[in-house]
Amino acid sequence: MAMKTPPLIHPLDKHLRLDRVPTMYCPGCGIGIALGAMFRALDRRFNEGLLDPNRIVWVGGIGCSARATLYVNYDAAHVLHGRAIPFALGVILANPNLQVIVIGGDGDIAGIGGNHLIHAAKRNIDMIVVMITNFVYAMTGGQVAPTTPVGVKTTTTPYGNPEPPINVVKVVTSLNANYVARASVTTPHYIESFFYKALGMKGFRFIEIVSTCPEVYGRHIGLRDPVDMYNELKKRVKYKQKPSIEESDISWDTGIVIGEFLERNNPSYLELLTGVRGK
Amino acid sequence: MRKTFAPGNVAIAEGAITAGLKFYAGYPITPSSEIMEYLAERLPRLGGVVIQMEDEIASINAIIGASWAGAKSMTATSGPGFSLMAEAIGLAVITETPIVVVNVMRAGPSTGVPTKTSQSDVLQARWLAHGDYIVPCYAPWSVQEAYDLTIKAFNTAELLRTPVVILSDAVIAHLWEPLVIRDEKEVTIINRKVPKEGEKALPYKPDPDLIPPMPIFGRGFKAIAESLTHDERGYYAPRDDSYRALVLRLHMKIFKRLDQVFDYESYYCGEDCDYMLLSYGSVARIAYLAMLELRKRGHRVCMLRLKTLWPLDEEKLVKSCSARRIIVLENNMGKIYMDAERIFRDREVYPAPLLSLELPSLRDVLEVINTWL
Amino acid sequence: MVFNLSALEEPYALISREHGKFRVCIIVNRCKECGLCIAVCPTKVLVKSSVINAYGYHPPEPANIEKCIGCRLCEYNCPDFAIFVERVG
Repeated sequence: MAMKTPPLIHPLDKHLRLDRVPTMYCPGCGIGIALGAMFRALDRRFNEGLLDPNRIVWVGGIGCSARATLYVNYDAAHVLHGRAIPFALGVILANPNLQVIVIGGDGDIAGIGGNHLIHAAKRNIDMIVVMITNFVYAMTGGQVAPTTPVGVKTTTTPYGNPEPPINVVKVVTSLNANYVARASVTTPHYIESFFYKALGMKGFRFIEIVSTCPEVYGRHIGLRDPVDMYNELKKRVKYKQKPSIEESDISWDTGIVIGEFLERNNPSYLELLTGVRGK
Repeated sequence: MRKTFAPGNVAIAEGAITAGLKFYAGYPITPSSEIMEYLAERLPRLGGVVIQMEDEIASINAIIGASWAGAKSMTATSGPGFSLMAEAIGLAVITETPIVVVNVMRAGPSTGVPTKTSQSDVLQARWLAHGDYIVPCYAPWSVQEAYDLTIKAFNTAELLRTPVVILSDAVIAHLWEPLVIRDEKEVTIINRKVPKEGEKALPYKPDPDLIPPMPIFGRGFKAIAESLTHDERGYYAPRDDSYRALVLRLHMKIFKRLDQVFDYESYYCGEDCDYMLLSYGSVARIAYLAMLELRKRGHRVCMLRLKTLWPLDEEKLVKSCSARRIIVLENNMGKIYMDAERIFRDREVYPAPLLSLELPSLRDVLEVINTWL
Repeated sequence: MVFNLSALEEPYALISREHGKFRVCIIVNRCKECGLCIAVCPTKVLVKSSVINAYGYHPPEPANIEKCIGCRLCEYNCPDFAIFVERVG
């Protein structure tokens, strides 16, 4: 089982379990871009001396995005489909000195784990949830997801998806979260700056990252080439300073607004529990 | 040590506190709710956390997370909630996470009779999740034993890095009896093995006792809690050798310590008896009375009471008693009976299914036994 | 070209080129040939190379390295941690 330790070559290599690289992600998958941007944000926090790499725990459920927990060179948990958030809640409440990062896809976090997402946001529990939206269940082969737009043909909606998608940003902002932002893999610098900001905050922080899935979703919508899909997404993404919640609906026709939808400093669950703040 | 008067649910909560409980997540369900209510008041004063989750799935996943962060953790529920916990029991097994799950049994199937007792979850506790594994399972018959077995459950969980189930029932839960609560120093408390600080640990590389030291989150181990079939590094390993090594070890680590896990009590089994009553949990209380009554009437009857419902030490059970006829008394359609039939295969084993929503009366039990005498 | 075929058997083979200010490096065996780096480069530094890596993909090469402005868009948009830009001197 002894492996030669691979040399650090890429500037982000220290964040990766290099013996597991290359990842199993398909060519052009946006998850790697998102992960890289998050690593750069972590680096900035480490350099500031405000964050200890040994105190970071990554938690993922099941799915392509959750599988990022297999590649990060940190304490990590790859748990049950949809249950990353309650697992992470246990971790942070048992040891409040940790910084817990939940990563997962829209199916994992808003589909099967939707109830946990709602209650974690309602509690303003101290964790960062990064939801990577690729509009499809990719790992299982391309079934309809909670975020799939109306009309898209998937393997389980061969006549077109009859259901309107869930706007997860709207759901989470309606609750007690402290930070809600959306970025896109076509704007890695925004992923980095939103994640960087989230790392410095308390309470429930939610970042949606709109991603490309050329291999599975790309096939469904006729954008099989990674570059085509990337460019088509890029065309539709619009950054806005302080966008309103009303603008948050994701639409392939009218565009996808990214930005920081909510930022506030409500007392977090841990702060209320330990009596640091509140009554 | 202090003496008090308490119901079984409180005894379980107190046992958990003595064992070192630091994190409890649960969801209200009759007849287990008092465990959470009692802990919600007591545990925060002792530096622990109690949280009411959105459902039982969240509860058990939260305690698995808390255990990986280093806290002894527990949840309690009843039939419907226990069913919801199925998948996560498997997660605790494969990630080798010490947790204690209390199932205060009530009558089912489905919503059943929430306020009434049953022993029908005996096999559910054993094989709740999919896959190959063993989950130790304890069943107390009194308030004091609810306390003692809870401590034992935590010790087994910590020693063997495994989930452990406590099968109480609605009778034990709400039955008030004298209870001796011991100080931490008066009982043996086992804590999990943890790798030395700074040591780069393979999270699933076992020691000679087949138990890998547990790399707790936040101490620089770069630990992996992996739900996929994994090798010693915690890396996904969809290969026969890794799969067999993992599943076999998950079994063997528990069988190897059957002496620690398995426990029972026998009454007059040393005598030359014609009949043995086999029972457990609340029904064993009446079985015991029935045995005394039958002995008074001149029958040569002994009794064996299981404290551990799974895994069973079959050798010990066979040697425990020489009675040719065994009557299995339980409040279900005959579940441990199936084990008894197999274990005592050269003897006559009779089922005595009670299906009683209340603790059966002595008369009911004697009536059932009489059909076989 | 900085690399040769024998370097391919080396798991950490690099394609790297530099001009006075920047060096662009490609970790050959991490590339999956998605083409994003080539597409996002504003000055068209990168082209697909004729090299075939251990997984059968053609990694890019910085053929027009003299045009590199060090914006790192290729590095930021690579999903596989396969390309990075270093400042030289």
